[in-house]
Amino acid sequence: MTTSNNIKDKFQLEIVSLTETFNEIVKKFKSLHSSITESYNKVPKATKQLDKINEQTEVATNQMLDKVEAITEREQDISGGLGEIEKLAKEGKDDEICELVVKLKSKSEINVADAYIIMDALQFQDITAQQMDHAASMLEDIESKLNDIVEALNASSAFPEKGGAYEKKIRIFDPHADLFEKKTEQREIDTMFDKVTKQKIE
Amino acid sequence: MSEKIMIVDDSPTVLKFVAFSLKKSGFTVVSACDGMDAIEKISNLEESVDLIITDLNMPNMDGYMFISTLRENEQYKDIPVIILSSEGADKDKERGLEVGASSYLVKPFNAEVLLGEVSKYLDIRVNS
Repeated sequence: MTTSNNIKDKFQLEIVSLTETFNEIVKKFKSLHSSITESYNKVPKATKQLDKINEQTEVATNQMLDKVEAITEREQDISGGLGEIEKLAKEGKDDEICELVVKLKSKSEINVADAYIIMDALQFQDITAQQMDHAASMLEDIESKLNDIVEALNASSAFPEKGGAYEKKIRIFDPHADLFEKKTEQREIDTMFDKVTKQKIE
Repeated sequence: MSEKIMIVDDSPTVLKFVAFSLKKSGFTVVSACDGMDAIEKISNLEESVDLIITDLNMPNMDGYMFISTLRENEQYKDIPVIILSSEGADKDKERGLEVGASSYLVKPFNAEVLLGEVSKYLDIRVNS
């Protein structure tokens, strides 16, 4: 009997220990669930934020483009007008006016050239918009995977209904878009296309 | 009468930038926001365009499909097409060639490079 009681006691102890372990596991799962919930809730916010940056950058860039366009148009008018004055001044043999007009004309032309450089630089918006779309798309993938985990843990009630949180945007982007890193020189691409074009003509 | 160029891109920034550069060089510009829009606009024009500049990644109809559709049409099959796209993989350029693009310009680019490419293809067309 004593041996039997000893075995019984040992079993009881093992069962208590197992129960405690299970309780710990459940606690850990609960804490994991809480972290997943937190991450899950943050993902749509981050995606929305990226979209907001994208939209606002686009609006700002377009405003700047409009302004630059207007500036260059005015500058070209100024340059043309100064050219006319230069002609008139030359006729009146007023060398000083002529010299000043030449200087102003040159400055005006530099302004136009600078405006073109600003226009070139503003293309950053198109590239960063694609990079942000790429990031937002990755966040949406993470959100979807987290949702799968949550459903597998049978805890979907803690999350917003599928599709109910926000309407997902259709994202069209080049994942390789980069403002500074050009992997291929334009010259190489031109050669590639020229070769095929010549073959087609022949 | 100035030569007419169609620009197809879903980015308003790129449309504006390219249109500005081309207009300043004396070209007439027609803009479209994707392949579908471009086909609709080009078919409604009284006189066809002399050159097309198109992006690849666009909603509704992408650049590849747009170029393929053009090349299948007797009226538009000979219009030079320049692809304007951000740094893509080599297969993007190869596919561009396959569908019948004349050239591929990597974004970002400056107005000088764009005009160089444009005048090159318009010259080829004029000479032939």
